[in-house]
Amino acid sequence: MHIQELILRLQRFWADRGCLIGQPYDLEKGAGTMNPLTFFGALGSKPWNVAYVEPSRRPADGRYGENPFRVYKHLQFQVILKPSPAKVQDLYIESLEALGIDLSKHDLRFEEDNWESPTLGAWGVGWQVVLDGMEISQFTYFQQVGGLDCRPVSAELTYGIERICMFLGGYDNIFDLVHGEVKTDDGVFPVTYGQMRQREEFELSAYSFEHADIDLHRTLFDAFEKEGWRLLKDHGHFLSAYEQALKMSHTFNVLDARGAVSTTERPGIIKRVRDLACGCAKAFLEHEEGSSTDSPDGTDSKSKMQGGAK
Amino acid sequence: MSATKTFLLELHCEEIPARFLEPLAKDFSDLFKAMIEKEGSFSLRWDWLAGGKNSFSSLFASGKLLGAGEIREIRTPSSKTEEVKLFGAWAFSPRKLAWAISGLPDQQPDQTETQVGPPQRMCVDEAGKPTIQGLKFAEKWGVDVSAVRFEQPAGKKEPCAVVTITRKGRPTIELLAEALPGLIAGLHVPKAMRWGKSDFEFVRPIRNILCLFGEQVVPITVDGVTATNTTWGHRLFHRQNPEPIKIATPEAYEETLKTAGVVVSVDKRRDLLKQQLDDLAGKVGGRVVTDAELLDTLAEIVEFPKIVRGDFPATFLELPKEVLVTSLREHQKSFCIEDAGGALMPCFLTAANRMDDPAGFVKAGNEWVLKARLYDARFFYAEDRKLALSTRLEKLKALTFQRELGSYFDKTERVEALAERLAGTLKVDVNQAREAAKRAKCDLRTLMVGEFPELQGIMGGEYLKHEGADEEVWMAVKEHYRPVGAEDAIPSTPLGCLLSLCDKLDTVAGCFAVGLIPTGSKDPLALRRAGQGIVRILWERGWATTPRDLIALALGAVGARATKPGPETTEALLTFFKDRVAYQLEQVGYAGSVRRSALATGWEDLTDLKARCEALSAFAEDARFASLAQSAKRIGNILKDEAPAEAFAAAVLQDVTEKDLAERLKTLEATTEQTVLLAALADLAQPLEAFFNAVMVKCEDPALRAARLSLLHRLRQAFLRVADFSLWQ
Repeated sequence: MHIQELILRLQRFWADRGCLIGQPYDLEKGAGTMNPLTFFGALGSKPWNVAYVEPSRRPADGRYGENPFRVYKHLQFQVILKPSPAKVQDLYIESLEALGIDLSKHDLRFEEDNWESPTLGAWGVGWQVVLDGMEISQFTYFQQVGGLDCRPVSAELTYGIERICMFLGGYDNIFDLVHGEVKTDDGVFPVTYGQMRQREEFELSAYSFEHADIDLHRTLFDAFEKEGWRLLKDHGHFLSAYEQALKMSHTFNVLDARGAVSTTERPGIIKRVRDLACGCAKAFLEHEEGSSTDSPDGTDSKSKMQGGAK
Repeated sequence: MSATKTFLLELHCEEIPARFLEPLAKDFSDLFKAMIEKEGSFSLRWDWLAGGKNSFSSLFASGKLLGAGEIREIRTPSSKTEEVKLFGAWAFSPRKLAWAISGLPDQQPDQTETQVGPPQRMCVDEAGKPTIQGLKFAEKWGVDVSAVRFEQPAGKKEPCAVVTITRKGRPTIELLAEALPGLIAGLHVPKAMRWGKSDFEFVRPIRNILCLFGEQVVPITVDGVTATNTTWGHRLFHRQNPEPIKIATPEAYEETLKTAGVVVSVDKRRDLLKQQLDDLAGKVGGRVVTDAELLDTLAEIVEFPKIVRGDFPATFLELPKEVLVTSLREHQKSFCIEDAGGALMPCFLTAANRMDDPAGFVKAGNEWVLKARLYDARFFYAEDRKLALSTRLEKLKALTFQRELGSYFDKTERVEALAERLAGTLKVDVNQAREAAKRAKCDLRTLMVGEFPELQGIMGGEYLKHEGADEEVWMAVKEHYRPVGAEDAIPSTPLGCLLSLCDKLDTVAGCFAVGLIPTGSKDPLALRRAGQGIVRILWERGWATTPRDLIALALGAVGARATKPGPETTEALLTFFKDRVAYQLEQVGYAGSVRRSALATGWEDLTDLKARCEALSAFAEDARFASLAQSAKRIGNILKDEAPAEAFAAAVLQDVTEKDLAERLKTLEATTEQTVLLAALADLAQPLEAFFNAVMVKCEDPALRAARLSLLHRLRQAFLRVADFSLWQ
């Protein structure tokens, strides 16, 4: 199956089951969880179903486009269901069938795999979903996000798009995957993942491991942090402040891939990202709770929030 | 006695992590038992078939119990007349936790109680009419005043008001319905979760509850799920059967589930897997590389066990065997197959959670994933060998061993110093010892060990071998984490043993010196295991050094990094090692009497201790030792408050029995070999008995008394060279 067909089918499937179809967030990030649609969506009491594709960057996983299985950037398909439905496992299984996987002929297992994101102050319990010995999805019941309890609990489903495509098509090399077909007056031209991405993998791997300016990234990290706290503290703006936390997280990942973070330094740096992310989560929830109070025009809660920010 | 029924509870959940299944099954069993004892008012006998082989089915096997469970008898304080015999068993699969208890009476017995009130004179007035106090007493117990009678209970000086109350026994199903939700909510879940909108916490979401007492449904509701007499089978089964399956009776549970694709007994699943593993390996002319832990895991993560064989390209066989076995186990939960010569074959076995592989997808999928994994492993293996292992030594500086004790580089320096100091004593080549110590931890900075931490040591050895290091050196590095457990062997070479000893010694002594001392069940750094390794190496190698000397050396190497005073640390370490030595004697299998009596006379010289234990064990069956032990105790009592002189005049002795003893003492004191000494001691049993029969030690004559006491004292000294016989039995 072509990559774009897989994405389209998953979007159709989840849209039909009452999910909003979201879009990737236009900042570098390591996982779909970091998209505000999930980070903030999983907080608070309002029902929230959303599904979207998220290109996810993991600088340390870069292999210069030479490794057939591992890449700097991969695609995640992310689904958030809040509150988690009683039949969430069945729904997930139906989504696999929508991809043409006939489960009567495969081995499907849910094996314990608890998820934790120290930079987001988030954790959950769940499984890796294993199809014929291959991990194809992560399945998590969020317990905390941004250091705050999730009530109600969201279920997060994350599909590894390239993996599933490779697995279904029996591909031995990620770059041989077909993204889709370009049809012109002159004919039909299949476009491979490699054509679209291999050069990017090479350059971004080289950047992460060799060319990234360490001093610059250290300076950037500090600057993003300062900017984030300024936005949060002086203005009570959790969305723009959260963007700074995302930038910190990616900057840290680059430094890490570059071998510039020592083991002793590491927990401290992660904590700085987490602190800002948790601050944003708290401010968001205060804002949410305020806006859901009975005051008809919401002025009460807003003034309260702004007053608190001064 | 009322009729009895079987109780069945099944919690059907989303996939429960394997490691929690058995602890949860046990926990509920304990809670249930405590509840029945409290609520039942029965006198109970319990047979709890705890994890016994196929215990669930044996519970129902025509009343005949095959399980090897512990049998305990408990009588409740309120026990009245009936004695009830209960049998319980549990079973689990990834999505199920189930318990059955048979023999529960369907009715709680009626209970009568006698209540004693105020004295008769206060309850009845002179006219014989009840007083206010009398009326209140009747009211308090809910009876008419006419039911109050007057008796003189034991311990009272006068007749008192007495009533007999009958408490009606309640139906057991009611008691169960009341108690079960609390029991389920009270289960100890180490990593609990919430789901949906509820605040209820459990290990994974509960999706169905099956709860029967006989054929009746026990009406309980837990977090919005109401119990029924139905449950769900295997997911694949319900693709064709959208309705849940009905369980008519507890007795039908296991068989009905099997028809729905679930083998609910983990023991049965394990047996089925084992059989298929052996069959499939045999078919390719090989045998399974056994791994009991992996087999347990597979049995716990499938509901219907099916072993599938897959193949991988033979080119990957160029990887070291340990890498392949580890990669297959850790990444793919797969077993390797080896040929008659022990070489791996290019195929593997893994479990699927279904009955068959109709389209070959399971095989093909596992093969595909494994190939990707082995590709990675081969990449690590090639990358790691591009640089000499020694280049990682410098990088160890950035790898913390322990905060106060510094980096792995610091540890390496200490281990090297220890190895250098001990090489001479233990007759190991000092240059090789230093070389091995320097390289031992380098592999911690390789890609392969980064991916598979359990290959530490093994990879270092492999890479050194590849570089052309001395065989002694690479073997020592490869094996220096051994023994990794009680089942594992010590390193196969003297150099390996030396390196293992020095590494573990530095870890144990270093941690003690900075106050990281294991307490009770808490030993996060596995220091006891390391200590046991040290003792085993000394014991099995017969090395002539003592824990005391080793402690001194190791603390010297730790030097100023220590945060605790030296003498205190030394004492703590000596106690620690004494416990390890005692455990070692137990592991070797010496009888309790041998261990107690041998340890009491010294534990630090392990070669001497070993010789004494061996000699004692050889004589342990000798009936004369029982008599000798009696005499030793007697001698101990006699000498308790005495301070006899060493020397005595043999001429003073009068009785033939004591003269005989004095002669024998000379022989004993001249004997050095433990076995000969023990034989001589055994021969002493009868003469000692004769002596005690013939003479009174503490006689009037002071000279004779002094001589007898000295004789006994010197005999005891001779005993103590082998063991403290007063602790024998």
